Order: sequence, then structure tokens, then C-alpha cells
Amino acid sequence: MTNPVSRREFLNLLGAYGGTSAVLQAGTALGFMPGNSQAAEISLQASTGKKVAILGTGISALTTAWELTKAGYDCTLLEASHRPGGRMFTVRAGTVIDEIGNYQRCEWDDDPHLYFNAGAARIPSIHSSVLKYCKELEVELQVFVNESKTAWVQDDAMNGGKPVRNTDYSSSMQGFVSEMLAKSLGKEELDSSLTESESETLLGMLRSFGDLNEDMLYKGTVRAGYGSGGFLDHGTKRDVIALRDLLKTRLAGNVMVTTQEGTGSGPLLMQPVGGMDRIIYAFANRLGDRIKFRSPVTEVMVTDDGVEVAYERNGVTEVLKADYCFNCIPSHLMSGIPNNFPAEYSEALNYIRRGKAYKAAFQAKERFWEKENIYGGITWVNAPTQQIWYPPHNIHGKKGVVLAAYNFGGANYTEMSQEDRIEDFLKHGEKVHPNYREMAEKPITIAWHRMNHMLGCAPRWARNRGGWSDKEEQMYETLRQPVNGRHYLIGDQSTQHSAWMESAIQSAHYALADLDQRVRSEPA
Amino acid sequence: MKKLMTVTTLFISALCNIASQAAEGDVGVAADMGDRYCTTCHGVDGLGNIAIEAPRLAGMEAWYLKRQLENFRAGIRGTHGEDIQGIAMRPMAAKLSDESIADIVDWVGDWDFVPAEATVDGNVNQGRTAFQSCAACHGANAEGNEALGAPALAGQNDWYMITQLRNFRAGFRGSHQEDTYGSQMLTMSKTLRDEQAIINVVSYINTLQK
Ligand SMILES: Cc1cc2nc3c(=O)[nH]c(=O)nc-3n(C[C@H](O)[C@H](O)[C@H](O)COP(=O)(O)OP(=O)(O)OC[C@H]3O[C@@H](n4cnc5c(N)ncnc54)[C@H](O)[C@@H]3O)c2cc1C
Ligand code: HEC
Ligand code: HEC
Repeated sequence: MTNPVSRREFLNLLGAYGGTSAVLQAGTALGFMPGNSQAAEISLQASTGKKVAILGTGISALTTAWELTKAGYDCTLLEASHRPGGRMFTVRAGTVIDEIGNYQRCEWDDDPHLYFNAGAARIPSIHSSVLKYCKELEVELQVFVNESKTAWVQDDAMNGGKPVRNTDYSSSMQGFVSEMLAKSLGKEELDSSLTESESETLLGMLRSFGDLNEDMLYKGTVRAGYGSGGFLDHGTKRDVIALRDLLKTRLAGNVMVTTQEGTGSGPLLMQPVGGMDRIIYAFANRLGDRIKFRSPVTEVMVTDDGVEVAYERNGVTEVLKADYCFNCIPSHLMSGIPNNFPAEYSEALNYIRRGKAYKAAFQAKERFWEKENIYGGITWVNAPTQQIWYPPHNIHGKKGVVLAAYNFGGANYTEMSQEDRIEDFLKHGEKVHPNYREMAEKPITIAWHRMNHMLGCAPRWARNRGGWSDKEEQMYETLRQPVNGRHYLIGDQSTQHSAWMESAIQSAHYALADLDQRVRSEPA
Repeated sequence: MKKLMTVTTLFISALCNIASQAAEGDVGVAADMGDRYCTTCHGVDGLGNIAIEAPRLAGMEAWYLKRQLENFRAGIRGTHGEDIQGIAMRPMAAKLSDESIADIVDWVGDWDFVPAEATVDGNVNQGRTAFQSCAACHGANAEGNEALGAPALAGQNDWYMITQLRNFRAGFRGSHQEDTYGSQMLTMSKTLRDEQAIINVVSYINTLQK
């Protein structure tokens, strides 16, 4: 690890790349250009009051209920919790966080800006179905800032543990990477595959990407901000962070990549004004008393011509008989609920594992990050806290809610007491912002593995990193087929891309299309 | 909310303000949920849930249930760093008061005992032989023995018993200084030579009825 990458190694690497992955054929038509992603058009045949039982009130369930209700179906939604929305959960003044064994009640100031999206928080621009419903239900959206170059990167292993600005980090990294690439240009390997004009374009891009000097060397950049001056006086460059120092943190990947996946998930994302649950309540308010809260499902029996769902309400067991059932109860909870699903179906259902994630947040006495020229984005910390997010809304307001920890896939907080969790994020946050502890009011934490009626974050299908096995694909198909044409499993668990609201909604659309086809083909 | 009202005329009649309904509901939730959140993990009527690895509580002896809750609460069980499942359970008991425990024991007592389904298929004959040394404490039909502090095993989820036997053998359960009952069982678990022996004895227990 201590040797710098030699020129030779680098060229070899490049050669290999040019030979295989880099698509260098001239004149290729851009056949891979994806079209615009568009939400499915739902046009269900009108129904005269067929009864539908919808289990859970996740976004997939609400979508189903909304579309079916519009088409004239008679829907009842059974929800175990006191609130709708499952993993779309916003915390604000008065919110109860029913984490099992760690019950909390949020005591932040009662202010519309002071909220925290404890589950889903970001909407990419290609999530057309989510956006479609926001439009249809008039949920106001605003831009969410996923990246700020003035936010920090902190790792005890780098810079003596002192934080560096994202821009210091990323500009230097870009500079060095560009320099290395530029040095290798003009070599035979490239000469043979690129024309002169292509090489020039590439060089020009590298110069600008890395802000290289005349000699194609990286000697720092004002992009990282000025060491001094910059407005009335000439700006001076700040010190360059040596490549070897940059490589001391494993956070490099996180810092350098803001586009997570899909063209829509970049620095620009969206959020509903006032909290992600605005979407949930936009549905729920329209569905009204079709939703029964605190009504956990206790049995699901598929019959010849329908479904019988037992649920508990006020200590009494009641039975809901329906023609169809749409179920978004997490698979790992469904396996603890008596049912008569076919063995193959149960096997597939029980196969899905529950993913881990935790978040923490506090109300900040003052918007201290703004004094550090930060107005949104993410600070990366190499600790269980992992991320600090600054609210991009209500700039220059009085207070703000800071995300103090977010580990998607991690379980550290799951096993910690509330006190230990808070101490953990304060301790690590302090390394970034000296006044962090003093600024933090009324912290809250959420370990999704322990949230009542959820007990998990993203459903996990594939056991191997390599991707889905044939068996997994097969089980997935099994679950996509309704039991007896009556019981549909919905939610992101019933998709191949979990942890997105878009997937959950599309699972509902998929099931609805199947139902509609069945209903249409029924003898009149 | 006003804005919403104008959007759709379709459900005007149904438009009741759930946002505030749920918010109001929040107030009552503390009392509502109390400490009876066990079924989220342990399944409807405490029948066990393999996906959470939380075992059947229905039919469990009151004295054993009480002791386990107290042990979890005191950190006698569920604190060994490798006891993954015990660690998941421990925080659930950490904040229970004596009254809550008494209430839970009563509540769990309401659930009917329904033997769990078998999920393993080991060598029952070899298991029967191995079980001879277990019967002294757990009873010939694995019906349990209060005087010796050994719980019933018949009807318990086999996957759970397998975890326990593995954990006892490895010292993940039963090695806490104050775990007097667990330590006895830890010693006994060593009579099971390997994983297969565990599966065999559990397969035999699956054939017993208490
Ligand atoms: C930390 C975190 C971050 C995320 N970030 C994003 C993001 O930025 N963008 C994005 O698009 N997505 C994100 N997601 C994913 C998104 O939240 C989910 O994909 C989506 O909300 C799942 O909806 P669902 O319809 O599958 O139902 P769920 O939300 O899983 O709802 C399940 C419902 O079933 C109910 N239930 C459980 N047991 C019973 C019972 N016995 N009886 C009745 N009801 C029961 C639950 O209370 C709940 O209402 C995130 C999720 C998490 C946890
Ligand atoms: C977050 C999930 C979860 C919740 C909630 C939960 N448990 Fe558990 N419980 C578990 C798991 C997992 C185990 C298995 C531990 C092991 O394998 O050692 C367990 C084990 C137990 C045991 C030991 C059983 C035995 O045979 O020794 C008892 C008793 C128990 N739980 C009672 C309860 C009670 C009572 C509640 C409600 C107050 C509760 N649990 C809530 C997950 C949970
Ligand atoms: C000396 C008495 C004794 C013998 C012999 C014995 N056990 Fe146990 N066993 C106990 C006690 C006591 C406990 C309860 C431990 C506790 O309270 O934590 C227990 C607990 C268990 C448990 C966990 C039950 C639960 O619900 O968590 C299993 C499984 C078990 N024994 C299986 C066996 C098997 C299999 C054998 C034979 C190989 C065996 N035991 C032999 C005393 C014994």
C-alpha cells in the first residue's frame, strides 16, 4: 500500500481497460440511451364494490387502495401501528418513536421546518411513479441537496483526525487522478485507439477535470476555496493534500460519488416540503376511515373465492372477508402470522432477509453549519455515525434538524442503549464541529431493526454479492403470482430493487394490472 | 390541509383529518403499547417466528419465563458478544419492571400451547440415545421439571433449540457467573459431540409430547 502506483502499472491497467471495457468504436449510435422513465398509466375497469383487504399502510398499500378506491372497489386497510406509512416516517414535535425497548417521544420545537425523515428521505428525478403521485395529490416538493463541497470529511486516520473540506478532498483526488491519466496519454496504447482529435478532447477534459497546470500537473486549485483573498484581492490557493494522505481514508468512495445509482440519483434530489410523510397523509387523508389503525393482522386464510383476514382491535379478534387481498406486511413478520399459503410460497416468503439501518438526529440550537459556509449536503465520518446531513431548507432560519447518524446496512446502534447511541454521535460529531455537543438539543435515534411492526429496513433477497441465483429468481416469481388469484404480496419486498419508494409503488402497479386482467376476464 | 380539499372532490365525504387523528392517537400510544410488544417478534399469540429467530412463548412455564426475563434484564443472559439472538432480546427486557414482568407472565399464560412444526430431519434413533442424559432434568417426555429448573422442550421451535445448544456448547449462553441454571446446562451441552448430534437430539425431541 505504501508504494505509489508506478507509471508502468498504471499503463497496464489502462491498456487492459482500453482493450475491454472502454467502448472505443467510432460512430456507434447511442442505442443505450435510456428513454425517459415514465409512470405507468393505471386504468382499472370500474368495479361495483368488490371487497379488498389491504394489509399494512406502506406506500405500496396506499397506492393500491387509492387506485382501487378510484375505480369503485370497497377497500379496507388494516394497520398494526398507530400511524400509517411504515418506512416513510417523519419525526417532528410530539411524534412517538415506537422503537421496541426504546420508546421515545420527540420534543423538538413545534415548527414546520423542524422535522426529520427517519426512513425514506430522498426522491430521485427518475422515480416517476413517486413524482406522479406527488403531482396528483398536490404534495409540494423542493430540492434536496445531497452534496455540498463545503461539508467535511473526517477520519481519524487522515490529517491527524482533523476534518478536511469535501472540496479539498475531492479536488485533490480529481487532480491527481487526472494527472496520472494525462501522463499516460500519448503512449502507444492510446495512440492506436484514439484519433488525434479524440486525444485532444480527452486531454482537455482531464486538464479541466483535475484543474491541471500547463504541464498537465496538479498543483492545487482555487476550486477548493481560497487560502486567502479571492474577492478584493487575488485569491491564493490552499495547500494540496498529498495523494498518499488522501488514500488514508476508506471514505474516498463515498466522498467522490454522489450519484448513487440511476441517472436520477445525483447531487439533485427532491423531498416533500414539511416531511416525507406528506405523501403518506396525502393518500391517507383521502382514504379516510377505510384505514383501521392499531389493528394488527393475526391470520390470513385464502379461500376458494376470497380471503379471510383476522385482526385484533381493542383486544377483540375480528374477521374481514374480502374478494382480494393486497399484503405489504414485511415478510419477516408475515412468517410469524398464521396463514395457509402454499409451501412453495411460504418458503420464498421466509427466504427474504431483513436489512439493517439506523439514523439519529437532533434539533440544533443554531444553524451552526451555516457559519461554516455549509448549506446542505453530507459530511462523511469514518465512525458508526457515518454521515451528518444539514437541512437544505429554511436557510438562515433559527434552528434546524441535523441528521447525526445514518448507517444503511449497519447494526451498531441496534444493540446500543439510547444513551450510548447519543454519546457515540456526539463524540464523533465533535471532531467535525467543535461546538456540536453544545448545539445538540433533544436527540432522537431510530434503529429500524427494532421499530415496532417493521423490525427491518430494506428486504434482502440475494445472499451472494454476485447477484441473484436462479433459485432466488424462481422464488421471486413465485411470490409475484397471487395465491389462488386472491392474495397479492406487495411492497419493495416484492421487487428486485428494494429500499426505494418507487419500487414499492411499482409492485402495487404490477399487482393491480394482474388483478385487472383477472377481473376483466371474469364471466359477466 | 385546505389545499388538499380542493384537489379532489371524489372523497370529500371521506376526508377526515387522519393527520390529526394519528397525532392524537400518538398521545395514547405509550399506554396502549405498554410492554406488550412481544408478539411483533415472537409471532401472533407467541407462536414463534423463525425469520426473527424469536421462539415460541405460548405454553411456556410461568417460572421459566419469569426467570429468563429477569436474566435478560440483569444481563445474565444476552450479553455475551457472540450471542447474536440473545443480544437482540436483551434490550426488550432491559427496561421491564417487576410489575411488567408479572403482567407479561399472566398475559403469555393466556396463549394456547400449540406444538411447533418440525423443520429439521436428523437421526431420531441416535437422538433418542443422546436424550437419555437429558431426561434426568428435562423429563422423559421433555415436559420440563420445575424442581430442577429445567424447562419443557417438547413443542419448542427446533431451530431455536439448535441455536441454544450451539450457544451453550460455545459458552455464549450459560457462562455468566450468576447464571446458575444456565451453567448446568452449559456443562450438559458438552455431551453433544458436534452439530449433527445437536440436530439428532432435537429431531428426537420433536417426536415428544408434553
Ligand atoms: C432508513 C431508510 C432510508 C430509506 N431511504 C429511502 C429514500 O431516500 N428514498 C426512497 O425512495 N426510499 C427509501 N427507503 C425505502 C422506502 O422507505 C421503502 O421502500 C418503502 O417505504 C416501502 O414501502 P412498502 O409499501 O414496502 O411498505 P412498508 O413501509 O414496509 O410498510 C409495511 C407496513 O406493514 C405494517 N404492518 C406490519 N405488521 C403488520 C400486521 N401484523 N398487521 C397490519 N399491518 C402490519 C407496518 O406497520 C407498515 O405500515 C428508505 C428506507 C429506510 C428504512
Ligand atoms: C426485537 C425482537 C424481540 C422482541 C420485541 C421480544 N423478543 Fe423475546 N426473544 C427474541 C429473540 C431473537 C430471542 C431468542 C434469543 C436466543 O436465541 O437466545 C428471544 C428470546 C426470548 C425468551 C427466551 C425463551 C426461552 O425459551 O428461553 C423469552 C422468555 C422472551 N424472548 C420473551 C419475550 C417477551 C416477554 C417479550 C416482550 C416483553 C419479548 N420477548 C420481546 C426477540 C424478541
Ligand atoms: C442437569 C440438568 C440438565 C440436564 C441433564 C440437561 N439440561 Fe437442558 N437445561 C437445564 C436447565 C436448568 C436449563 C435452563 C437454563 C436457564 O434457565 O437459562 C436448560 C435449558 C435447556 C435448553 C434451552 C431451553 C430454552 O427454552 O431456552 C435446551 C434446548 C436444553 N436445555 C436441552 C438439553 C439437552 C438436549 C440436554 C441433553 C443433552 C439437556 N438439556 C440436559 C438443565 C439440564
